[in-house]
Amino acid sequence: MKWLTKGAIILLIACLVLAAVSCGEEEEVKELRIGVIGPMQFQHGQHHWAGATLAADEINAAGGIQVGEDSYTVTLVQVDSNELVSVTDASSAAEEAITLDNVDVLMGTIRSEAALAVQEVAMDYETIFMVCGSSTVEMSNKVADDYDRYKYWFRITPVNDLYLGQLNFLLVGMVAQKIGAELMMPPKLAVMAEKAAWTESIVAAAQAYLPPQGIEVIGVWQPSDKATDVTAELTAIEDAGANMIMTALSGTVGIPYARAWEELEIPAASVGINVMAQADDFFENTGGFGNYETTLNTLARDVELTEMTLPFIDAFIEETGEMPTYNAGTYDAIYILKEAIERADSVDADDIVVELENTDYDGVAGHFVFDDNHDVTWGPGYITALGVQWQDGELVGIWPPADGSWNGVVYEGIVDYELPSWVVEYWTQ
Amino acid sequence: MNILSFYVSRSYQFLRGEILVIPSRTIALLLCLFLLFFPLISANDFILRVLILASIYAIFAASWDLLSGYTGQINFGHALFFGVAAYTAGLLNYNLDLAPWATIPIGALAAVVAGLVIGIPCLRLRGTYLAFATLAFPLILLGVVSAISSITGGERGFSGVDPLAGSRVASYYIVFPSMMVLGFIMWKIADSNTGLIFHAIREDEVTARASGINTTRYKLLAFCLSGLFAGIAGGMYVHFMKVAGPSTLELLLSFQVIIWAVFGGIATIYGPIAGVFILYPLREFLLSRYLHVPGELTMLIFACIVLIVLLFMPQGLITWLRDKTEKICPRCKLQNVATRSKCRVCTADLD
Repeated sequence: MKWLTKGAIILLIACLVLAAVSCGEEEEVKELRIGVIGPMQFQHGQHHWAGATLAADEINAAGGIQVGEDSYTVTLVQVDSNELVSVTDASSAAEEAITLDNVDVLMGTIRSEAALAVQEVAMDYETIFMVCGSSTVEMSNKVADDYDRYKYWFRITPVNDLYLGQLNFLLVGMVAQKIGAELMMPPKLAVMAEKAAWTESIVAAAQAYLPPQGIEVIGVWQPSDKATDVTAELTAIEDAGANMIMTALSGTVGIPYARAWEELEIPAASVGINVMAQADDFFENTGGFGNYETTLNTLARDVELTEMTLPFIDAFIEETGEMPTYNAGTYDAIYILKEAIERADSVDADDIVVELENTDYDGVAGHFVFDDNHDVTWGPGYITALGVQWQDGELVGIWPPADGSWNGVVYEGIVDYELPSWVVEYWTQ
Repeated sequence: MNILSFYVSRSYQFLRGEILVIPSRTIALLLCLFLLFFPLISANDFILRVLILASIYAIFAASWDLLSGYTGQINFGHALFFGVAAYTAGLLNYNLDLAPWATIPIGALAAVVAGLVIGIPCLRLRGTYLAFATLAFPLILLGVVSAISSITGGERGFSGVDPLAGSRVASYYIVFPSMMVLGFIMWKIADSNTGLIFHAIREDEVTARASGINTTRYKLLAFCLSGLFAGIAGGMYVHFMKVAGPSTLELLLSFQVIIWAVFGGIATIYGPIAGVFILYPLREFLLSRYLHVPGELTMLIFACIVLIVLLFMPQGLITWLRDKTEKICPRCKLQNVATRSKCRVCTADLD
């Protein structure tokens, strides 16, 4: 009798194990592996990762990505590209992620040279690569030149450098109007652009197109992107009689520039691109200087580009304690990818590409539609980007103007642009 | 048929008499054979990528050794040769559609010219002054790259350069055997009379000149030869990566090559090659993949490794290992296993 009881217990356990195994088979977890590639020891990579993590957690909590009857869980793979130090490392990291970690999609990168190298690796393996950090138009030109090879590439953030140039001029136009209205004088512009390939078209366009619009370009100053002192340039700009400075600075030069600009009270309003001024710690880095510095940005604290913007910013700040930069575009990238996969009803890269091309999506940074070269479209009704200004230690949105004078585009939370107090004082006394 | 059997028999005798009797040579031969046939064991793209890059960097490190290790012309800006060749090969391929078999030699020739351009003004400099002067040249070229960004692509470089070959295995079979052949050529140069003169210049240039050696000519030759081999590495690199950019000229690369060479053992040619084949895969697989050490920290770790190696093995790891396992016969100067008490050829006492 005893052996019978023992046998029954063993049989019961065996049945339970079998049932558990068969249940496991029924609920086989399918996953979509996304490689988030960036310099993970730096803010750029950390924002790539934080944006992606937020999106993946939300999607997984809501049941994952639906493909037919199957539900795919989003699994993120952190890929440290070390790209700010070594381009070879970035390229190797991308290949490692694709071949050993079996990622289905790559997204991220920041340094253009590294992004180009990663683009080549991703295209070799026909892996979708969504850029969330590099603006070089060279990448989208590749799609136009050789669509079959480069069709797996898409740009999420920022807008390409040609659009950045146009945006720069719109900001310059707004500040020139303010100078005309408040200072009663014609705008005289100095160009302060770091010596780099991406600023060349901006400098050339400034010299060609701004004078016919009544903005005199009095000179171009081109320091190194890593310059630690631009006092000589700023003094020369002051001596030349400029009342505006158009910046195109992506490197660390943006910090000494802003510090010296306010410290020396250069009587010229500063406007344009200063990537260093987009970061939360800009004021700390400049030692408290740089008030009134105006730059392009993707997001601003209280500006509602779409319904998704403010909840995302709140969640991101809660998670990281920092305001998201354009590198956090991985958040939008994952949602855009999810929608494309669900429309394609497939996880095959070629099918997804077709649906990514049909993207029409309201994300955190605005309305996403890709152009023929897989670049995010810039313009009213699409991704517009923002003009932001440091006012009393706060980074606030100042463009598109609150009065809707730019093609009727109006966002909640935009405030008026302010001319620096010392500029007003200098020119009105 | 007789000629063939003659050569086979001679090769066999050479193998038995010169290779298999010395453990380090046997191990080197086995490693070379293992790496040569590695794609038959695993055709994993990433592993082959690491081995291809290691081969390219091995040529580069050995070329530094030829100049700085043998001749004593310390070069802190060796990336110049690499970068000049990378840009030349890349631009020729990108703009003129020249195939890699043409662009790589032309790139190497451009690096030879760069060797002359550096060598001539630096002839009068020695030691620290020479080292710092060479450091300046890649920085100057970086400025030039930035200044003519419409051609070079500036800080972003340019991509879309043709690959070395249609497949990863084919690329491997171009790069790895090339590394072995070029390494052998560099070793033969270092072992020749020219190499002896390079040694003499490093040890005592004044005495070498007093002996009737035109040291100026030989120093220039060292710069050009080093540029040639580093240039071949740079050309292969750009066709493998399919991207040319300022990272090929960066200081990091110049310092990395010194770390590899010092780790392996300078003035040996095979030391730097072995150094790269130990450190580069170690970094890619062990540090990055399994220990998840951030890329930025690996340079620090390698610098510490080099310090430790220099402290305990001042001649480098490979030289230290060789000295521990081999003895040189005081009479005929041939290598013998450390366990032997008499020379394998002349039977002289080894102890």
